Amino acid sequence: MPKKPRLLTALDILTPILILGALIFILFFTPIERTMGHVQKVFYFHVASAWAGMLCFILAAAAGGAYLVTRRLYWDALSLSSIEVGWVFGLAAILSGMIWAQPIWNTWWVWDPRLTTTAIMELIYLAYFILRNGLKTPEAQARLGAIYAIIAALTVPLTFFSIRLFRTIHPVVIATGGDGSAFNMTPRMLTAFLISLATFTVLLVTLVWHRTRLVTLQRINQQKGL
Amino acid sequence: MKALQRYLDAVWQIVRKDITVEWRGRQGLPLMLVFALLIVFLFHFALQLSPDLQGGLTAGLLWVSLAFASTLGLNRSSSLEQESSALDGLLLIPVDRSAIFFGKAISNFGFTFLVALVLLPVFNLFYEQNMLNLPLILVIVLGVGAYTGLGTLLAALSIQTRTRDVLLPILLYPLALPILIAAVEASRGVLSGEALSDVQSWLFLLLASNILFTAAGLMFFETILEE
Repeated sequence: MPKKPRLLTALDILTPILILGALIFILFFTPIERTMGHVQKVFYFHVASAWAGMLCFILAAAAGGAYLVTRRLYWDALSLSSIEVGWVFGLAAILSGMIWAQPIWNTWWVWDPRLTTTAIMELIYLAYFILRNGLKTPEAQARLGAIYAIIAALTVPLTFFSIRLFRTIHPVVIATGGDGSAFNMTPRMLTAFLISLATFTVLLVTLVWHRTRLVTLQRINQQKGL
Repeated sequence: MKALQRYLDAVWQIVRKDITVEWRGRQGLPLMLVFALLIVFLFHFALQLSPDLQGGLTAGLLWVSLAFASTLGLNRSSSLEQESSALDGLLLIPVDRSAIFFGKAISNFGFTFLVALVLLPVFNLFYEQNMLNLPLILVIVLGVGAYTGLGTLLAALSIQTRTRDVLLPILLYPLALPILIAAVEASRGVLSGEALSDVQSWLFLLLASNILFTAAGLMFFETILEE
């Protein structure tokens, strides 16, 4: 059985500290937004979840590519784990967004580009699990899963742009033009935002790493016939 | 040069084979056509549409029925190869296996496009709108091309699973969403009298999808068919 890497143990300790720290900073040290009030604080973890989900899916496609080149099952385990973790982050982003949207937009759901893209993304990757589940051998699962993960990652930007060409009401966090549609963050808010992004990135690495190890260990056990 | 000719010849032979099979059996195209018409009727009554529909709704109706009918054709086309191990024969062709992808994609495109060509006058009749215009046909060529390209790729994936063809819509619809949005929007624009240049961002999106999925087929089809 492969030994648990030291770095992973360090991450196990670091991650909860970071989450706790980010929470404390967000709850007690960021200003309360003038028009939105307390519910605006959802934003920090909301954007961070969406960011982490996105990263996971990109990682999954890259790992899928690495599998197709090297044909080592480790990469497949990484790709699968990234999609599992990314899926949960995506769901967290949607749910936290809904909690914010209810008081602000006065509705739980809006057919806005980002919401719709995220929801479609969740469906795309749900289909990934169904596809894997229907394949007989681990080799076929790895091979076809990798191809699907790459095609899926390629279509996500297409989906986003296609829905974006409709008008959007979602606040633009990082605006490209100075058209005033971006909501302006105070320096404190920006700090909290960056802390959240960093925290969720570390959380993502920890979760994906653990899950990859678990998949690998499961496979070792299966080979031993346990 | 010789290699390219052999490649193109293999592609053409696969297309020809599909046309011959269809001509002799007539088991795909009629099914797709009837299915597309049924979808039109279902939607007409489910959504209580009126005969003087606006461009947007006709465009939507056209693409939904095309998308559903095309799925039927894609499944039929890939299960045809799986039955009596016809695929093994194709795999024996001594060319790069992406030729199989192009062959299948072209015949899939052809069948869906034929369905569209039959649907257009029917829409003319049902919905008092001139559907037989060239810009719309261009949009259909681009949209159906991207859709069947992606569909051919995913049908080769889904046919290898235990659930077989049932899986295809689940894989195809969410991934094909940008194609459908762009196709519907471009058709809507064209039908409400806008010039092609007014819908060019949608056309570019369709063109980009065509290129993307053709490239994906070229790159991955060999790997998908590996045993």
